Amino acid sequence: MEILEWIRLIAGGALLISGLTIFLIELYGIFHLKYVLNRMHAAAMGDTLGISFSLVGLMILSGFNFTTLKMALIVVFLWFASPVSSHLLARLEVSTNENLNKHCQVYPNLESLERELKEEKEKETGGDSK
Amino acid sequence: MSESSTFLETIHQGMYIIVLIILAVMLFACLIRAVKGPRVADRIVAVNMMGTMVMVMIAVLSLYLKEGFLIDVCLIYALVSFLAVIVIAKVYMGVYEEKYHIDENVEADKEGEKPYGDS
Repeated sequence: MEILEWIRLIAGGALLISGLTIFLIELYGIFHLKYVLNRMHAAAMGDTLGISFSLVGLMILSGFNFTTLKMALIVVFLWFASPVSSHLLARLEVSTNENLNKHCQVYPNLESLERELKEEKEKETGGDSK
Repeated sequence: MSESSTFLETIHQGMYIIVLIILAVMLFACLIRAVKGPRVADRIVAVNMMGTMVMVMIAVLSLYLKEGFLIDVCLIYALVSFLAVIVIAKVYMGVYEEKYHIDENVEADKEGEKPYGDS
């Protein structure tokens, strides 16, 4: 029975440490990337994967009781909440930034994007035939 | 038997303390990002990240103190932090619209074209 406790400690601790590593990578991305819409990718990673790893590790450490179920509930809630808040923040950034074109190319509608893609494709195939 | 189980307990407590210290340091780095962030969306993203880290901290603390009710606090914290991000984003969008597009509306009124109907 003693050895089982040790296995539980090691498995839970490893998952907890990997969750902390994901948080560390997230932090690095937040400081490394230059623009909000890029930083959002790094921030979303911790909201889903980082907290999932950490809480699964804590579930293994806490054993089988009602606390485990509540931790699972937190993870499931964050899976739904994180994309919604990321979407709203991206919309906030796009609608309030006056010179968004400096950071990324913005197409006014879908037709212009399709036209540009078609032109690029024609250019590529023309280059190949020559 | 009891000696080895107390040893296991000591290892558990030490691990929780170390994890809490690491999380506190990362939380401080997040705070630096929230203060430095050039745009409003930067700050909200950093605050959202801090909320996630605080959730993990509360969960670790509940295992450290062996108090199950702290997980309920963690769940409520998740709900409130999600709501806060939604409300701040919406309110800031409204404030921005009022602040920077009021001039256009005034000019449109001068020309006799009312953008929002006849009201």
